[in-house]
Amino acid sequence: MNQKTITATFSQQHSHCDSLFAQAEFEVDKNHWETATTGLTTFINSMECHFTNEEQILFPRFEQCTGSATAGPTQVMRFEHQQMRQLFQEMQASVVQQDRDQYLGLSETLLMLMRQHNAKEEQILYPMSDQMLADEVTTILESLDLTTFDKLSNL
Amino acid sequence: MNVTQLSLQQTPPLSVPLRFFLTAPLFGLLASGLLLYQGPSLFASRWHFAILALTHTVTLGIITMVMIGAFLQILPVLAGIQIPRPRLVSTILHLLLSLGIIMLIGGLLIAYPLLIHWALLFLSLSFLLFIAIVGYCLFQVKTITPIIIAMRLALIALTVTIILGVDVGGAIISWPFTLLPLKLSPLKLTNLHLAWGLIGWIALLIIGVAYQMVPMFQITPPYPTLLTRWLAPVILTTLLIWTLLYINDENSPVTLLSTILIGIPLGVFAITTLYLQAKRLRKLADVTLNYWRVGMVGLLITIIGWFLIPFYPSLANSPFYDILLIVLFIAGFILPVMQGMLYKIVPFLLWLHLQNQQLANLPASQAVKIPNMKQIISESWAYRQFWLYLTGLGFLIGGILQPYPFIQVAGLIFICSFLLLSYNFYHALKLYIVIKPQLSQPKS
Repeated sequence: MNQKTITATFSQQHSHCDSLFAQAEFEVDKNHWETATTGLTTFINSMECHFTNEEQILFPRFEQCTGSATAGPTQVMRFEHQQMRQLFQEMQASVVQQDRDQYLGLSETLLMLMRQHNAKEEQILYPMSDQMLADEVTTILESLDLTTFDKLSNL
Repeated sequence: MNVTQLSLQQTPPLSVPLRFFLTAPLFGLLASGLLLYQGPSLFASRWHFAILALTHTVTLGIITMVMIGAFLQILPVLAGIQIPRPRLVSTILHLLLSLGIIMLIGGLLIAYPLLIHWALLFLSLSFLLFIAIVGYCLFQVKTITPIIIAMRLALIALTVTIILGVDVGGAIISWPFTLLPLKLSPLKLTNLHLAWGLIGWIALLIIGVAYQMVPMFQITPPYPTLLTRWLAPVILTTLLIWTLLYINDENSPVTLLSTILIGIPLGVFAITTLYLQAKRLRKLADVTLNYWRVGMVGLLITIIGWFLIPFYPSLANSPFYDILLIVLFIAGFILPVMQGMLYKIVPFLLWLHLQNQQLANLPASQAVKIPNMKQIISESWAYRQFWLYLTGLGFLIGGILQPYPFIQVAGLIFICSFLLLSYNFYHALKLYIVIKPQLSQPKS
């Protein structure tokens, strides 16, 4: 049986979030504000759950292993999470105000930021984690809160 | 693995890629002006100096300009490799390249050998610097992704293109030496230069960038692994074998086979891209998507046109047919794809740098409102520019079949289109310059 990897597990969460993002944006584009509000909440909650798994479980292990807690790649990833969180807030505000143009401008920006962030993780950080933390991949994956993510993103 | 070397931060200073992206529309304007000024006489022959000037305004001034900017931006971000002294390197590169292009265009237009002589020196220097630095960086990359492979191959093709180009240029101004230890006819040299430049350097890089960008922009499924692994290497290997055979015999049947071996992978790329875009999760109207679709259809039409030659040999002798194919490839495939890409990258970079400064300098309570991407470049103006470009393209293609008056009309429309492109980008830059000082330090 194939052993699960960090790359596969976390990348799968990315693509799940991508489709939630697209659904919410589609509803806003059509001015369906009620479904847009639920869609956006589902998307943001799933993203937050994914961030938590990274920030509290994966990144600390990576930092311990590489001794790069203050200036390494994970710090940049945490910084980009902050950037995305700021856009989440603005998007929530624009849904409350039912401001379609504002939302679509923000979602366009978030999409670029999120997709290049994901690409860096999927192409560099996760494969490195799989390699460097090889002995403890199973332990790490078991300690992730996958149930909450699945529950949230399947709402 | 050395983690300290890997800084995913990496986005280089804004001026590093932006100077290249913002120079390109200006050369677009110059190219459109040349089209209008030279008019119907322009496409009378492939060997006309004016058409050589126009081609290089486009291939060097617009296309290569954007590609160098893209290289300098992508390498640090996607490969985690820092370009040494990025500001200095990009300033020197940009200056040498811009001056070289202007001298080349001027030299060709007024047929002044000394200017061409200096142009060749400036251009060779800038490319030598670019190839050395980027080549060094590319070989440091540890995680080899398809885009890295395509970038490496494109860089090899650029090297070949430059060597051939310098030899063609040197032949024009009667330089006593050649870079290649071969005596080739100017026709063969030029055809090789063209093939390596358009297919090797430009198309391979577009393919590599597409692997990354197409799924990124529209949330499409990724390109199939089989394709990303083999497409670029097959094209480059075929190009190499074709070159060796072509040097010996320009009509060998193997040349036909190489046409197929290059044309089919390019066609597969275009069809796959269109297919992936049709399956995109993000269904919103999007100017980048429009530009890319035009580009892929343009590429397919070029390939079909190319495949017709063996069946209708008279086409090969027709004076306008190879010009038509080159115009279709450049103006119908490459330029639309590049403009589409710039409409995402330019506003995103401006936003990213403003946002970075905000988070680094200001406490959350003093946050300044940063315009989003669609406020940085207005979507409606981007669409207007797209439609203008498409109309210009229609007239340009018509103008090859019926030069008078279509070529001049195309020139006029392209002037408007590149003016609008410049407006869209420079207006965005102005917005950045206005907001930036507000983000520099917290108010006391």
